[in-house]
Amino acid sequence: MARLSLWKDGLHTNDYKFMDRRISEMFTIGGTGILLNKYLGPIQQTDSTDLTQPDYTNQSAQNIQDMLWLENRDRKYDTNVYKMRGIYQRGDADFDLSQFGLFLQTGTIFMVFHLRDMVDMIGRKLMSGDVLELQHLKDYDALNEDVPAALKRYYVVSDASFAAEGFSPTWWPHLWRVKLNPMVDSQEYKDILNNIAAGSGTTTPVGDILSTLSTYQNINNVIIQQAEADVPLSGYDTSKIYTLPTNDDGTVAIGTPVTADINSITADNANVNASSGVGSPLAKVEGYLTGDGTAPNGLPTGAGVSFPSNPAAGDYFLRLDYMPNRLFRFTGSYWTKIEDAVRTNITPGTDNSTQRGGFVNNTNTFVDRAGQTHKERQLLSQVLTPKADN
Amino acid sequence: MSAVLFAYDGQIRRFVTQFIRMFSNFQVEFGQDTNGTRTLQTVPVYYGDASRQASVILRNNSENSLNAVPAMAAYISGLTYARDRVQNPTYEGTLRIRERTYNEGSQTYANTQDGIYTVDRLMPAPYTLGMKLDIWTSNTEQKHQIIEQILPLFNPSLEIQSTVNYVDWSSLSVVQLNDVAYTSRSVPAGGDESIDIATLSFELPIWLSLPAKVKKMGVVARIIASVYDAQGDLNADLLATTQQLAFQQRYTPMNYKVFYSGNSLTLYNGTANESDDNIFGTTADWHGVVNFYGTLVNGISQVRLSFDYPDGPHEIVGTVAYNPTNPSQLIFSPDTATLPANTLSPVTAIIDPFNVEVNSTLLNPTTGTRYLILNPIGDINTPSAVAWAGAPGTNLVANANDIIEWNGTYWTVAFDSTNSSVEYVTNLTTTVQYRWTGESWVKSYEGLYNPGDWSLVL
Repeated sequence: MARLSLWKDGLHTNDYKFMDRRISEMFTIGGTGILLNKYLGPIQQTDSTDLTQPDYTNQSAQNIQDMLWLENRDRKYDTNVYKMRGIYQRGDADFDLSQFGLFLQTGTIFMVFHLRDMVDMIGRKLMSGDVLELQHLKDYDALNEDVPAALKRYYVVSDASFAAEGFSPTWWPHLWRVKLNPMVDSQEYKDILNNIAAGSGTTTPVGDILSTLSTYQNINNVIIQQAEADVPLSGYDTSKIYTLPTNDDGTVAIGTPVTADINSITADNANVNASSGVGSPLAKVEGYLTGDGTAPNGLPTGAGVSFPSNPAAGDYFLRLDYMPNRLFRFTGSYWTKIEDAVRTNITPGTDNSTQRGGFVNNTNTFVDRAGQTHKERQLLSQVLTPKADN
Repeated sequence: MSAVLFAYDGQIRRFVTQFIRMFSNFQVEFGQDTNGTRTLQTVPVYYGDASRQASVILRNNSENSLNAVPAMAAYISGLTYARDRVQNPTYEGTLRIRERTYNEGSQTYANTQDGIYTVDRLMPAPYTLGMKLDIWTSNTEQKHQIIEQILPLFNPSLEIQSTVNYVDWSSLSVVQLNDVAYTSRSVPAGGDESIDIATLSFELPIWLSLPAKVKKMGVVARIIASVYDAQGDLNADLLATTQQLAFQQRYTPMNYKVFYSGNSLTLYNGTANESDDNIFGTTADWHGVVNFYGTLVNGISQVRLSFDYPDGPHEIVGTVAYNPTNPSQLIFSPDTATLPANTLSPVTAIIDPFNVEVNSTLLNPTTGTRYLILNPIGDINTPSAVAWAGAPGTNLVANANDIIEWNGTYWTVAFDSTNSSVEYVTNLTTTVQYRWTGESWVKSYEGLYNPGDWSLVL
């Protein structure tokens, strides 16, 4: 009589199969419903010229997008959702308040799946990067009652291995244990967040109602608006300050304002306005970054790339062909510099014309001898390097 | 026990606001999506020490909300007194500012001058504000995209401003990058599940200021003692727009002369001069002078004329209004109480005995008729003319500049011009008052006023 042995030289015996079916049945009976968003591999980056970031023609979970940093940033997920059953131990959830908001302190959970059922269904074991939706944790009572669907709970597989408790007396494993972390709204999961509807009856992407991104961006915008209200432009605002008009000898200059009582002025005289005759200061209030290109005391200012032909003494003119723009005053015989318009918006962006901002937010272009248009702003490592003929 | 007057300007708050602005609007680029499209996502920046309740609200009070990455969180890491930047703590910096006139209706500034102010600022206290910027990214490439955009800007610092107020000398500072902690993780990571955060540490040498003292500049023209009414409240007239007593300032423009004649004040340039009641000079526009100092309110604003005679200093105060037909003239309404008082009874007219028309008025004067004569009358040895009857048995003898009076029967000398004392008399024909200088009659207060002798009260 052969000796009793549940181990049969590496074969999956009927004993194994019997136990595996019973275990699978346990998952069917007592497991919770899981929807799997299967990771398929990095999305093809067709314009890559970096050898460490290959342009894969075959999509595979075995591909690595960035060979240097060893990471997959732009991930493709199966458009099909797989229904699975998993078992895990519930625990009370507490939040950690971090500088980036509330995080689930006990957010990491460990869940087991039936190994053979899993492989039969998705063609492989669950791996790091797979995204699971735990259906029983769907939140129907968000604070914002206007969200179009219940809030789904997503987890990301970070580690996976055979569960210790999943080995039967045949010594073959029956369970696959995965370590799950709460998903975040990041680049890696945009394929899910942007392309899966938040629920039935709505086309709103699930990311739009789950993510705090737009909320924080709105908060950021409000802060920027207040900051721009406090400091619209760099330097100091002297526009509300009155500048004493003086003559060349330093005495106070007081002009004769034009009024409607002056008979010699008619309505068709285009050169006369309410500011005509008001004293024209020789300079403006001086200070650090006070130049804004406007004439002192709000007097009229012409602007252009060349001086007007028939200026009157005391006229101001802003030359737009100077960088920064330069404000001049006509003395009666020549134009003298008053100030440079150096005040600028200091919010990072295209309105920022500081020296450093001028290198970053440069949208100018030029045309080369071949008639091709190029951007002035070029990355330093690629300046004047050979370009493809086409 | 009285409390300290509350004063909070949000100085640190404004610096933090600007600090967050400094790192706003940076973007990261995602790789191609399934449509081959690259996406730029703006990285939000917010304060990193939020309250728990606000954080719950942001999460929609749900465990299922997803924190978004990349993100940047700025927060205060320290605030220390900067002993090395201490300057004279008792120093007061004074600044004099002229404001442009603000039009409440159009909410714009005019090109005329409004108030003049003196601002006293006490030396602010130097502090070093420590700030940290945590950058949370989900992958290494993303982290490099952010820090490569930010770090080159700090070479070694960027300027920061809390306000654009020209008077605020503590609004300007710099943000100096002191340290970069590339990652919050350790290598090898092991079983570490923490998120990856790069931390930039900054220092801002800032100044914290006490409130300033803002004073309206001007010469004390009037001390108003009765500022309270019987109920102990401020007298309404002080604040009433029709009176504006509490807000008026006195200005003494130089380089201009004022000619006072009749009920008008004519403005002349400083080179004008007077000769025989004629003014030689160029007129100027009152609007230009007035707008230079403020706004003239017709019937409220004043002009004050000063002169100093042997009988003492005088100041004539009168309200003014623009003359709608002559911009170089103001219509002047003097306060009669401030005019010099007549010391002699008024004269009926001023006459020249050599050229006067002898008519019934002269031959049959009413009792009390008085004439100021420009030439002498009569001689002791020569019988008086018919018109100039002297006392019975005598001839009327009067000198030039004397005042003669008809007493009902004959003429008498009412004022002897050999008298050298100062006298004032009004000509009833012209209502002009004259002053006897001891040598001649001159207009007592009408005439040309030199710079320094006249003032505007606006």
